Amino acid sequence: MTSRRDLLKSAVLGGGATVVAATALGSLGPEAAFAETAYDAEPGAPDPDFAEGRIRTIKDDTLLVLGSNMVFHTIRIVNGTSLWKLGPVPFEAAKPGDGLYARGVRMPDGMLAAESVWLNIVNIKGHIKNITDGKLHLDHHGKEVLCHVVPGKSVAIQAQAPPTADLSMLKVSQHVQILGAWRPDTNEVDIATVFSPH
Amino acid sequence: MARSKSPDPPADLLGPVTGEVSWFCCGTAWGPCSSTGKGACGTCNSGSLQHAWPNTSDACWSITRPDRCGVGLSRRTCGFRHRTTALCGGASVVTTIADCGPQTDLFCGERSCCGATCADNRLIDLTPAAFSRIASLSAGLRPCEIATG
Repeated sequence: MTSRRDLLKSAVLGGGATVVAATALGSLGPEAAFAETAYDAEPGAPDPDFAEGRIRTIKDDTLLVLGSNMVFHTIRIVNGTSLWKLGPVPFEAAKPGDGLYARGVRMPDGMLAAESVWLNIVNIKGHIKNITDGKLHLDHHGKEVLCHVVPGKSVAIQAQAPPTADLSMLKVSQHVQILGAWRPDTNEVDIATVFSPH
Repeated sequence: MARSKSPDPPADLLGPVTGEVSWFCCGTAWGPCSSTGKGACGTCNSGSLQHAWPNTSDACWSITRPDRCGVGLSRRTCGFRHRTTALCGGASVVTTIADCGPQTDLFCGERSCCGATCADNRLIDLTPAAFSRIASLSAGLRPCEIATG
């Protein structure tokens, strides 16, 4: 059986990102897509099929990314690549300056053919210092992160309850985890999900 | 400070344990992660296959306190290998301890589910590289099984 990774690799080696249609990759949900992958990499070591950093330039279907460790990554976007920026987005949503994490298949020339790219995603824990007009002021390691509630996007998951767009149950001094999208070069985040235990 | 005793015997000595897994950033990074440092072991990097464990030392245990949630976990130190398997989909990853965490007691009793399959309490945090091998980073939190790697 041809895997999603094989298709990505063959598409890129075949010379065209457009070779891979989304349907060729199947209608894999995220969990199924991750379940089928199998790689060899040493525990504790850098993952060769993963990249992080900030986008320096975008040319055609390729992101040139400077890693936080000052290593450059070339990341190719294909039709089957899923992109996230507070939710699923098209390639056009990627902008220079965005931070990212990317997972894919490392090609022989060092380029990463991307399965998934998460733009500006952060997953931070802290306690709520204040709540003002649609914003949570989060104390994260002693620094304030201003977290914006985005109508139609932000949800809360409290204890065992299903996700809800009603964030009114959140209280000052509560400890929470916030998954969201960082606003580049600020201390501000747009909220995707607030996880709270109580 | 005297160390609080873990419930005996630690659940993970008897076999795999189930709990929640999330992800955290460490090492050189962008955004709010830029101030997080290289973790308690001094080796942590978001791009490496690593994890945080709640019982790496007395000092670590005094912060994370999984015993307050009724969970005992073995003392395991930097470099120890665990295998984390997502209960949604079954993908797994083997990683090494690089930091102390998560702060289990702050989320006591929290439950994550995939359909009818659920797990309680935060027992492990993976780096983005490791978590993205078993689930999408946008999931944020998942039920998992943890075994020695």
